[in-house]
Amino acid sequence: MEDPNNSAQKPVATAGSRKSGVIKLPLANRCGPGKQRRTNNESNKEPAKSRPRRQSLWYAIYFPQLSELSESQQTQILYELAGLAENVSATVSFHSQALVCEIRSSLRYFGGIDNIHSKLQSLIVPALQTRSLGDSFLYAASPTVSGSLLLARSGHNALVYQKENLRSALGKLSVDVLDLQKEQHRRLHNMGVRKIRDIWRLPVEGLHKRFGSNFVNSLSKAAGTSPEPTRNYIPSPEFSVSYDLPYEVENINYLLPIIDEILIKLRDFLIQRDLSTSHLLLSMVHEKRSRTEIDIGLRQATRHRDHLLLLIETHFAQLAVPAPVVGLKLEVKQFDAFLSESDALLTEERVECRSKINSKHLDQFMEQLHARLGDDALKSINTIAEHCPEYATQQLNYEDKKAQMSATGVTNNPRPFWLLDEPIQLTLKGSKLYHRQAITLISGPERIETYWWSGLDILRDYYIARERNGSRLWVFRERSGERNWFLHGYFS
Amino acid sequence: MTILRDSVTQPKANIGKALSDTACNSRGAPWTRVNQLLHSNPNLWRGCDMAGQGFHGIGTGYHELDDILPGRGWPSSGLVEVIARHSGMGELQLLIPLMQSVIKQGKWILCVAPPYLLNAPALTQAGIDIGQILIVKQDTPCKDALWSMEKAMQTETCGLVLAWQNWLPGKVLRRLQLAAEVGDTLAVLFKHNDSKYSPSSLRLQIKGSVTDNRDFSRAEVTVIKARGNFRPLSAQFSLYPKTVSA
Repeated sequence: MEDPNNSAQKPVATAGSRKSGVIKLPLANRCGPGKQRRTNNESNKEPAKSRPRRQSLWYAIYFPQLSELSESQQTQILYELAGLAENVSATVSFHSQALVCEIRSSLRYFGGIDNIHSKLQSLIVPALQTRSLGDSFLYAASPTVSGSLLLARSGHNALVYQKENLRSALGKLSVDVLDLQKEQHRRLHNMGVRKIRDIWRLPVEGLHKRFGSNFVNSLSKAAGTSPEPTRNYIPSPEFSVSYDLPYEVENINYLLPIIDEILIKLRDFLIQRDLSTSHLLLSMVHEKRSRTEIDIGLRQATRHRDHLLLLIETHFAQLAVPAPVVGLKLEVKQFDAFLSESDALLTEERVECRSKINSKHLDQFMEQLHARLGDDALKSINTIAEHCPEYATQQLNYEDKKAQMSATGVTNNPRPFWLLDEPIQLTLKGSKLYHRQAITLISGPERIETYWWSGLDILRDYYIARERNGSRLWVFRERSGERNWFLHGYFS
Repeated sequence: MTILRDSVTQPKANIGKALSDTACNSRGAPWTRVNQLLHSNPNLWRGCDMAGQGFHGIGTGYHELDDILPGRGWPSSGLVEVIARHSGMGELQLLIPLMQSVIKQGKWILCVAPPYLLNAPALTQAGIDIGQILIVKQDTPCKDALWSMEKAMQTETCGLVLAWQNWLPGKVLRRLQLAAEVGDTLAVLFKHNDSKYSPSSLRLQIKGSVTDNRDFSRAEVTVIKARGNFRPLSAQFSLYPKTVSA
């Protein structure tokens, strides 16, 4: 009952070269020795072939007790345990209720698999106990990820060093350890399949038809004949530095050199991980009082030490601490990917590049202003197509600016640079108008009638006028009510 | 050489008056010939003209004003005080060409605590991209206003800082002047009153035309103090490219 496809290929794979099992090179295998020599220099896969690649050894840790928990709890616990498993391996991957770590590379360092196992046990068991998840876990090690998982799940705690032995070791296992649906389990049972060994003997094509390609793939992964991509654990970056001052400090400016040192650490930390930050929290610890916290949010993520120090300095200028400071702590609340700018090679792009750098400078300046003056201190203006002069200028906070910039039609009639917040009523003595001094009308009127629909009913005649001292004024006379004169702006 | 120099600079009152009156108003043919003659001799310099000293200013956009300023224009960095006794003298209009050139360079302009609302349609009419203008709000305390001026001058991309502050002690003006020089930025301070002994690089006074109050567009600008200039000069010219007619 040797299956023609799978097992026929396998001896070739293991006897010929281990590599060909992973990356198929049918042409290179088939061609003659002379041809093979010629391809020697060309193919980049050749060096691996000539020198046997070091097999990896995967150590699977299986937690059967996790099955009672919800999925999110499972992932959370696995995430925490993966952090512990990082003590013995650089590559830790997640699987259902299990972790797998690569330990071949750490065997020599720890001095054998026994030491690695006892180290893991000493780390993981207390962690499980604190979560009241018992104090045991199942484990196994083999040259493939899925193989280790299957072995661990079976509870054999086996260790298989060589890939050649893996197939027979897996063969002994019951089919119950396979991660299958109930229906598939039942079907296997009905087929008389009790051990994985029995599956090896079935024709692959038939298995494909009955159980789908996923099933066949997972088995060949376990036997080490197909590659196994895994999702690896990447620890989330964390930066939190505390500094206890040797004595109490009242003048917070004395803290700046210490903060600068912490910022150097932060910069190095960020550079190593190719990150930047956009949210920092600086807390100052006082004795017997709650800590003073400075929340530093950045418009654009940065890892520029000088800029961060400048911002903290600006915050300090406005800050009064309630008590002497005895400690400092800097935490990063938000990490961002680092985006660098490159200067343009071509002259046409240089302008664009410059403007990008300009806007970055502007952003940094803006952050500084906001830190000192408050968030709504900075305005930009925009024109609105509007007849009524006081509504034709829109004052925006700088933040909203970019979305709203629009070039709208502007009247051709003269408009003053300055507009008064509230028009000032002028006095009319005899036939002469007075503000501070006598006013002469120069040109006009320009009639503006608008807002009749809203009840405001703006009916005005605008004139350009000149005060005796030389001021150019923009005045208007109401055309309704008491027909008063008002000063509305200056032609500055 | 010294004899030559003395002979030109000694009757400075006369030449100064002649310069301000003749050179700026009626650019007559005889005077240009004299000018050419004076320029042709490199060993000769004139008190009102720093062109020979290798110092070039940014053109003000008004010929008559260029003529009376050292370097024929605004200084490229430093503090400029524009004194207008009242609002509405045309003090902002005087700076419009400068603002245009700053914006053309892709830099932005910061207005620190302006006294009134800046009217956007008027600026658009004057050909200024209002997207490049930032305003520090009106009721900012003086200390913060000065701080933001100083910071803006240190920022590379800020081309011009406009500020409205009336009572600033000499010490503060000195600090602003230094900040502007270090940051290589021009800062313009609008004031109602002149303060003597101010350390700024240029002090101008702008007045409405004395002769005819009804002439809307004309203004008289007096250079009270300018680095490289040693006596006050004044010029009368029209501020608006097209006159607002009555």
